[in-house]
Amino acid sequence: MDSKIKTLNDKIALAKLGGGKARIDKQHQKKKLTARERVMYLLDEGSFEEIGALVTHRTKEFGMANQKFYGDGVVTGYGTVNGRLVYVFAQDFTVFGGSLSETHAEKICKIMDMAVNVGAPVIGLNDSGGARIQEGVRSLGGYADIFYRNVQASGVIPQISAIMGPCAGGAVYSPAMTDFTLMVEDTSYMFVTGPNVVKTVTNEEVTSEELGGASVHSTKSGVAHKTSSNDVECLEDVKKLLSYLPQSNKEKPLEIPYELKDEVKTVLDDIVPDNPNKPYDMHEVITGIIDEKSFYEIHKDFAENIIVGFARLGGKSVGIVANQPMFLAGVLDVNSSTKAARFVRFCDCFNIPLLVLEDVPGFLPGTDQEWNAIITNGAKLLYAFSEATVPRVTVITRKAYGGAYDVMNSKHIGADMNFAWPNAEIAVMGAKGAAEIIFKREISTADDKDNKWKEKEAEYAELFANPYSAAERGFIDEVILPHNTRRKLIKAFAMLENKEVVKPQRKHGNIPL
Amino acid sequence: MKKILVANRGEIAIRVMRTAKKMGIKTVAVFSEVDRNALHVKYADEAVCIGPAPSNQSYLRGDKIIEVAKSLNVDGIHPGYGFLSENAEFAELCEKNEVLFIGPKSHAIKVMGSKLAAKETVKSYNIPMVPGTEEAITDIPEAKKIANEIGFPILIKASAGGGGKGMRIVENATEFESQMDRAISEATNAFGDGSVFIEKYVGSPRHIEIQVMADMHGNYLHFFERECSVQRRHQKVVEEAPSAVLTPELREKMGQAAINVARSCDYIGAGTVEFLLDENLNFYFLEMNTRLQVEHPVSEWISGVDLVELQIKVARGEHLNIKQEDLKINGHAIELRVYAEDPMNDFLPSVGNLEVYQLPVGENIRVDNGFEEGMDIPIYYDPMLSKLITYGKTREEAIALMIKAIDNYHVKGVQTTLPFGRFVCEHDAFRSGNFDTHFVKKYYSPSLLEEQHKTEAEMAAKIALKQYLKDQQLLRLPN
Amino acid sequence: MYKLKVNKTYSFDLSEESIDKLDSVETTEGQFHILQNNTSVKATFTKSDFNKKCYTVNVNNNSYTVEINDALDQQIETLGFEIGASKQVNSIKAPMPGLILEVSVKEGQNVKEDDALLILEAMKMENIINSPRDGVIKSIAVNQGETVDKNSLLIEFE
Repeated sequence: MDSKIKTLNDKIALAKLGGGKARIDKQHQKKKLTARERVMYLLDEGSFEEIGALVTHRTKEFGMANQKFYGDGVVTGYGTVNGRLVYVFAQDFTVFGGSLSETHAEKICKIMDMAVNVGAPVIGLNDSGGARIQEGVRSLGGYADIFYRNVQASGVIPQISAIMGPCAGGAVYSPAMTDFTLMVEDTSYMFVTGPNVVKTVTNEEVTSEELGGASVHSTKSGVAHKTSSNDVECLEDVKKLLSYLPQSNKEKPLEIPYELKDEVKTVLDDIVPDNPNKPYDMHEVITGIIDEKSFYEIHKDFAENIIVGFARLGGKSVGIVANQPMFLAGVLDVNSSTKAARFVRFCDCFNIPLLVLEDVPGFLPGTDQEWNAIITNGAKLLYAFSEATVPRVTVITRKAYGGAYDVMNSKHIGADMNFAWPNAEIAVMGAKGAAEIIFKREISTADDKDNKWKEKEAEYAELFANPYSAAERGFIDEVILPHNTRRKLIKAFAMLENKEVVKPQRKHGNIPL
Repeated sequence: MKKILVANRGEIAIRVMRTAKKMGIKTVAVFSEVDRNALHVKYADEAVCIGPAPSNQSYLRGDKIIEVAKSLNVDGIHPGYGFLSENAEFAELCEKNEVLFIGPKSHAIKVMGSKLAAKETVKSYNIPMVPGTEEAITDIPEAKKIANEIGFPILIKASAGGGGKGMRIVENATEFESQMDRAISEATNAFGDGSVFIEKYVGSPRHIEIQVMADMHGNYLHFFERECSVQRRHQKVVEEAPSAVLTPELREKMGQAAINVARSCDYIGAGTVEFLLDENLNFYFLEMNTRLQVEHPVSEWISGVDLVELQIKVARGEHLNIKQEDLKINGHAIELRVYAEDPMNDFLPSVGNLEVYQLPVGENIRVDNGFEEGMDIPIYYDPMLSKLITYGKTREEAIALMIKAIDNYHVKGVQTTLPFGRFVCEHDAFRSGNFDTHFVKKYYSPSLLEEQHKTEAEMAAKIALKQYLKDQQLLRLPN
Repeated sequence: MYKLKVNKTYSFDLSEESIDKLDSVETTEGQFHILQNNTSVKATFTKSDFNKKCYTVNVNNNSYTVEINDALDQQIETLGFEIGASKQVNSIKAPMPGLILEVSVKEGQNVKEDDALLILEAMKMENIINSPRDGVIKSIAVNQGETVDKNSLLIEFE
């Protein structure tokens, strides 16, 4: 028995070395951790159980039969993060550059299947050169097997992708279909076609970083939801993200014990300036409402005119969607609509209640928006809210004009509780613009046009630039004082905890895409 | 005496109130704004806030304290130690307002408050004193003459103050003048008064003090000596009773001398007479402290009395019903002053919060304590947390118990003199009784404690790693 | 080989073998008696966090917090990874197109984090651009009254 045990131990030791010490050192020189190190860091001490450590590829062509590595370039298995079960795969760049083969894909599919059956999140740590060319179409098939499972699991278990190295070609579609994509700055990139091919086809000269690095995808394209400066920070971000989510769509998100006190936050009284043309930072309002230090922002640098992210209210997870008056006055546009719509739908998948903080003057005008389908894209957010059956609560902190009022989780599209602060202005449009239209004749025939305009503007503002028209009709459930907002919200969400809505049977809706 | 006001704070306030309660006397505490949550406030029957944190706006405001005493119908005021305890004006103020000051009369405080006046007063009783000038001197040639008469080495001491300022040891005649110049200029800068004394410098001095008590009827007692030579920065840290070196004859001589000092100023109440003992067991009068001292518990333990109780009785006009012959030394007691100071950083005060504060308990262990777990150490006052006193039938027993008590005294959040106390108790010089006031200077250096810390840290690391490796083996399941 | 940090002051390198040699006996839950060179030492655990690899031990009534770093921790330290390392901002670009209403600082001026640098008017809203950090203004690329595009350079730091 002893010699057999020795054989096993030798194999395991070999498997742990991946592509060998030299390649491991190279990985470190590039300021990257190895796949095993990442898994060890991510998971709780001693919780990792590896699955398929001794899997090898079956390719015979191109001399591959003599080049076999245990694990075949990916470390897969399960463990716990802060005591909760997760499944993880981490591509090993030291083995064939982390390239995907048939068996590599099989390993990933195996844990994805288990995750769906058991009901626990899948974390993918991507670090791969792409398809293993020697395998030909078998590699492409492997990718497709993964893609298919990404979709079958979508909305069933949370799927998080961390891009911690190259991720190119078809490989990018898997993270694209997962719920969140996190990228590491400087050492990772994502694109469908690399700079070399781009040069030959379009003659554009561009580096990997410029084409698909972390900053590009977090600011321009919105493909990445969050970036971090190194592997360790990225893994910490993953762990933190998991703490807001449930294990699967059958569960409610993790609740942290919280001792409630009076929850009055006087800091909220002083944030919104009296002058409606002066902006303020909606982050301050968020901070004033949620549990201390509990905000986890998603897409921080993309479509900054809307803020989305997770937070806690009284220890319970909520998803926040909030207009940002400091940016483009907080208008809705193509990017902010899609950013918020996907976030809303994710929260709806996973039983995370939604809190909407509204201060929106309307949609962004201009040909850029119209030609890029602000119509269809704006509708995405409207659709997402209307479709969501999780508890949804809105607080209007200042403006709620025009169609944007409808879109931002208004009562009419199914919001459960709608609050407004006393300085809220719920109207078709701003008083100045409305006065110009309604009192056009009076203004144009007046001696002092400017003063008449101001007079009529004041008249209109008196009537409509307030929350009372809406409150009188029950479109606003209660006009509340800013410092009471947190109290009201905690009570509202507690009340809505067991909300259940039964929808008519259908395969799925047809959200404008 | 139905009600006593304690014009103090911290452990001494509680200690005095404890005896008062034992005697069925009601207690009044005074406190500053920052002491609202202090133990002495909670312990008293009544408590009044007398001002903001700084002492000169609260605990030193004799006028406010008298006001409180009158409005609450207080019969007597106990001043504790420090603050107003040796303030003759305050004693007078009490007399004027017909509130009993539990201590000596103001005139005794005044006399003994000046080193010069004290020496003058005790002259007629032939109390041995350190040879030296009887008046302050500023004339250098005159001083030199006196120095030569006394014999070198000599000590130059500032007349107007202490704390080591204006103090200079002169080994021989040649450096006398320059040292004199320096001492005078230092004293002028520090106290505005350049007059200095010259006295003989006692090498290897031990600080021995005698506890005395006197009633209003001319009865004087002494409660033996205390050895207070373990000092740093001229402040006592470890005291014991009796001293390891006094013979019964010497004790009797010094006791009588102390009583005479008390007699010389018509002393009433508890007081302490301080002496210097040189290597030949000659003793010299230093000064008299006209108050109850910090280290009084060690005397209480070996003589079996409650000194505060006697103070109150004496103040009430009762006779001291004890005869000197009946007082016997029983056993040995040691006290460690537990200061919130960092012995590794030159004993500088260590501020912070008492995250953990648990006192040792047990037979023959007494802790006169002023704090509890969770309290912050205020920066306005003396950083003494408590006094840790142990008793044994022999000196060795007392020392052994002190070590044990220190080990069971758990403090976290501030640095304390506890590790220093342990160092003293384990040091040969202390254990053998063969030490003097240079003990700390000679034997203590922070690096010694540092060494010990490092060894303990390594031990902690090893045991932690062992536990970690063991914990690794446990099977853990997802929640 | 483990690296242990005690009270953030002392550092020890210990191997598993050296721990095997440690003569310790658990007397009661969390309390240990150790014989080191025949000297008796008592140690008590006051805090144990296996996941964070941090234990607090009382040795001779002194508290020591031990942080255990294994091979991975040491590797991470070698690589110099820190959590929350923010990149230093050296230039401020216009977050949106608009009109420079006011420039509140001068070249060479010392500014603190959150000081107002300039006011950019856009969408009829006045946006105050605050300094992201302490620093010295190296150059200001715009003037009051100028219109700027999104991402145009506004201010550079030393």
